[in-house]
Amino acid sequence: MSIESLILPLLIVIPLIGAVATLFMGGEKQKYAKWVAGVFSGITLIVTLYMMYAGFEDWTVFTVGYDWIDTSSVHIGFDLMVDGLSVLMIFLTALLTLLVVVFSSAESDRANYFHTLLMAMEVGLMGVFMAADYFLFYVMWEVTLIPMYFLISWYGGPRRHYAAIKFFIYTHVASLVMLIGIFAMGWECMAVTGTMDFGFDTMAEIMPATSQAFQVAVFALLFFGFMVKMPSVPFHTWLPDAHVEAPTAGSVILAGVMLKMGSYGIIRICLECFPEGAAYWQWVIIAIGLISMVYGAYACIAQTDLKKMVAFSSISHMGMVMVGIGCLSDIGITFAIFQMFAHGLISAMLFMVCGFTGHAVGTREMPLLGGLAGRMPIYATFMMIAFMASLGLPGLVGFWGEFPLVYGFYEFIKAEGVMWLLVFCLLTLMLTAGYYIWAMQKTLFGPETKKIDLEHVHDISKPEFVALAVLAVLVALFGVWPDAALSFIDPYVDFLVGVL
Amino acid sequence: MFIEYTWLVPLIPMLCFLIVGLLGRKTPEKGGYIAIAGALLSFIISALIAYEYLTGDAYPEPVTSQIAWFAIGDFEINLGYYVDGLTCMMMLFSSFISTLIFIYSIGYMHAEGARKTRYYAEVSLFLTGMLGLIVSSNFLEMFIFWEVMGLCSYLLIGFWSFRHNDGDAASANAASAAKKAFLVTRMGDVCLMAGLFILLGEFHSLDYTELFDPANIANADSTMITLGMLLVFGGVIGKSAQFPLHDWLPDAMAGPTTVSSLIHAATMVKAGVYLVARGYPLFIQDPEVMLFVGIIGGVTAFFAATMALNNYNIKKVLAFSTVSQLGYMILALGAGGYLVALGMDMGGAEGTALIAAGTAGFTAGCFHMMNHAFFKALLFMCSGSVIHSVGTEDMRLMGGLGKHMKITSITMLLGSLSIAGFPLFSGFWSKDLVLDIALEAGDQTIWFTVLWLLAVITAFMTAFYMFRMWFMTFMGEEGANTQHCHGESPKTMTAPLVILSVFAVLSGFLIMFGLDGMVSFEVTDTAFIVGGGHAGGMVHYFEHLFTNPYTYLTIVLALLGIGIAYLMYAKKTVDPGRFNKHGESGLYKVLANRWYFPEFYNWVSWKFGYGVAKGVNYVDRQVIDGTVNGLSAAVVGGGDTISKMQTGNVHDYTAVILLGVSVLAALFVVIAMILGGM
Repeated sequence: MSIESLILPLLIVIPLIGAVATLFMGGEKQKYAKWVAGVFSGITLIVTLYMMYAGFEDWTVFTVGYDWIDTSSVHIGFDLMVDGLSVLMIFLTALLTLLVVVFSSAESDRANYFHTLLMAMEVGLMGVFMAADYFLFYVMWEVTLIPMYFLISWYGGPRRHYAAIKFFIYTHVASLVMLIGIFAMGWECMAVTGTMDFGFDTMAEIMPATSQAFQVAVFALLFFGFMVKMPSVPFHTWLPDAHVEAPTAGSVILAGVMLKMGSYGIIRICLECFPEGAAYWQWVIIAIGLISMVYGAYACIAQTDLKKMVAFSSISHMGMVMVGIGCLSDIGITFAIFQMFAHGLISAMLFMVCGFTGHAVGTREMPLLGGLAGRMPIYATFMMIAFMASLGLPGLVGFWGEFPLVYGFYEFIKAEGVMWLLVFCLLTLMLTAGYYIWAMQKTLFGPETKKIDLEHVHDISKPEFVALAVLAVLVALFGVWPDAALSFIDPYVDFLVGVL
Repeated sequence: MFIEYTWLVPLIPMLCFLIVGLLGRKTPEKGGYIAIAGALLSFIISALIAYEYLTGDAYPEPVTSQIAWFAIGDFEINLGYYVDGLTCMMMLFSSFISTLIFIYSIGYMHAEGARKTRYYAEVSLFLTGMLGLIVSSNFLEMFIFWEVMGLCSYLLIGFWSFRHNDGDAASANAASAAKKAFLVTRMGDVCLMAGLFILLGEFHSLDYTELFDPANIANADSTMITLGMLLVFGGVIGKSAQFPLHDWLPDAMAGPTTVSSLIHAATMVKAGVYLVARGYPLFIQDPEVMLFVGIIGGVTAFFAATMALNNYNIKKVLAFSTVSQLGYMILALGAGGYLVALGMDMGGAEGTALIAAGTAGFTAGCFHMMNHAFFKALLFMCSGSVIHSVGTEDMRLMGGLGKHMKITSITMLLGSLSIAGFPLFSGFWSKDLVLDIALEAGDQTIWFTVLWLLAVITAFMTAFYMFRMWFMTFMGEEGANTQHCHGESPKTMTAPLVILSVFAVLSGFLIMFGLDGMVSFEVTDTAFIVGGGHAGGMVHYFEHLFTNPYTYLTIVLALLGIGIAYLMYAKKTVDPGRFNKHGESGLYKVLANRWYFPEFYNWVSWKFGYGVAKGVNYVDRQVIDGTVNGLSAAVVGGGDTISKMQTGNVHDYTAVILLGVSVLAALFVVIAMILGGM
């Protein structure tokens, strides 16, 4: 048994041990829970980095498979794999989990369960991104749902129960639809080969050869499941509510990684398996993407809660990912994936600063804030970096998820003779700058607010600083050196474009 | 041997930014000396590069080198430098003026304490942006630095946007001005981005060497180039504060005066003009584009000058003046480019003559850009010196300062004479070149005759408002704040003024000593050459200038403007109130309200921004969420009444889910089957 074959199982097992260990650290011991969680998520990150380094040339060395259910008619495997699409998502998961543990080190309310939930979420997320079997994929998908539900309903804000249930229903309905799609694939597989084999490899061979009608139908089922998760208008309203109520840690993971499960699923399953379905629904995908972009951006402008604004901006940015995917072209998909990664880093920063506003100042309502930069210069700097990165300032990572992606879209619509559609993208870019700059003016600048008591307001603490600084450095690093991420993505997209 | 190190020119200020930002607090002057050293070093390297390039073998071909950065699909995006005459000129004056302004800042920002670190870090980052923009070898690299400058402009306008020394109203004002500057220029930047998409789509590259190659231009779709360049010009309109996106610049005066001088007069706002000059080979592909450019420039020049006539804020007068002068530059580039474009379409001897005449427009625009950088930086720094001393920006509270601030008043007088176009001062040379090229283009289309007329009236207005400002500030009886002014500013502030005033007076002569090559443009069959100077060619042009009757017309108008200002504001024998019904006339109010442009911006942002957003939010909360909540309530409520077996919310909802999912799934399958079958 080689070391390589241990890597992927370890990425699931290590956080799992962490989750179990923290679970039993109640009472007096709970103050050590953060150290345990930190150590285990730290090890996970180290293993991930080793994997990224060692597997760069050939990801297949990591592929492992164990039979789970293996009868004559059904085959479900505990198959794990990693490739250019998932590696960045795994990196995001490992990184953000660790940073969130660091950032939330002041959490003292049932701290052990808090960290158990975080670690359990990491298990699920790792599983989703590494699964090489559709059934396993679905199981892991559901695993992510539960810790997030409890994170919101136990540690959230005043309307946390409403938000948690809404989150649960929306994503659960979506995943059930998705499950129908997966079973449809299974039956088709049974019809062709005689066994219901959920393995990625088997499906990748069979599915692209199925009839157009089948592809169109199953694509739609799966796409619906993923779309709600991304989330796209009009199935998005769970997200702002979930974010507003979720604790900062939950928001960071939710926006940073969980939303990417949706777009990951679209690329991994919908595009890889159903090229004809993708071609059929192409304009629908683009329309949904464009609407989400513009709608999300407009909704941001009307928000008064900082966190809600950032939540809507996630909808807008994920809409952009959808547009990139919809181009079904090399450039579009490459930079859609890049944008997923960029948004993961940026939205983590965004939710950390916005969450911090809530803890430190006591409110996130912009009309009550103002002139905070004078009292909290470091916080103000991080907020500015995050906002600037998110509005696509060149030199930071957000720009490279935006400029080339829209160019890819431009190429597509130019070929289709509908160049005027570019207006929606440009409008979004304009609006994005609008709401961020406006928000900064209202919170950081201007006269210091007198509507709330700022006596006890403090700037960010050391652990929070570390978490934000790491993200800021990465945002700048990938901003000046986008190839660092693109070199992972390119080979995968070359393969995918071959399938399409 | 120096050109290979061109990348150091923007890199040094970048390092200064990092050093000052991280460690500046611990150094003397909170990082000020580090910033100065960086700017000076960049200037020295720029000078060495310019010397080597202009005397080297490659001249006038550009020297360029790039490394691969990453790829967008199959298109390589590179990172590199591109040195030609225009680059040299821009590098030299940007880094030189920056050095002087940084030195001046030591005095001007002295009282800012710990905030100085932020100031020097941000101006260093700004200088990175400006120099990076100049040496970039492709449009995307250029755009990055373009936006970095925009960010710094935003940060520095808002330098006092919190904890302003003058209180809350001032900080609210600064915050609002910074926001406006960012968003209005962003409008242009979005257009510029769209322009870059089109260029990338046509040329499959954004490298200057590819884009400016006549063979590649001939292969590309000319309609798309036209559209692309119009959109690129949108970026210019935003950055160089042209009509109708000009209104951010007067508000930007809320920043420190050094920032106004550096960013909003001498360098950043020139970036738009530079972009037109840099993209000249593409802009001149279509006369209509150049006509549009010319119209925007001419209208801006006139329009901005009118608003300077009755403003009482010393910095805002200068801001409007900057907008107006930028309009001149754009007008010159437009008029010249129009002639070149026509000439290229026409071909033959007549075409060649038109091209030759048109290239003078390029020279005029770039030349005026350099001269303006010197005299406008000087004027702003003088106004800063005045503000530093009297503690107000309102000219009505000044007056009679000449006695108290000798150096400032004399250097400002030199700057004012220069911008007014007083014969032999630098502004005179380039402004008359601008007017001349507009008149020449007027032979081809009536549009440029009209624009020429506007530009001539602008010349008169310029002389008037500049001297109105000078007389109101330095002459007449002492104003309220003059009586307790602090006297002349410290040496760190006056020394840069003296040095700059030398340039403001004399920089016009540079062009006669062979340096015209840096601002010339040439069209050959195989290339477009920027900076392919023909030393001595300008002497011929100056001959033409002095034999041209219209030159004397503008001189007379300038003197007239100065004279009227003298009578109104120094001697006070003519009451300005006679002409505006003491501030009650309609025109006066229109001008004082900046042609109602701030209201217009508000209206637009309400109409297309906040208003729509409110609607979207309503739909989101009421229609979408209302439907969802209503549905779930109905289902839960219905289930409740029927079964009375509700145990917990989650279970209920799960039941609802299962029901819903089955229906949905069935629906989906059916629809998809029908659609798929078609």
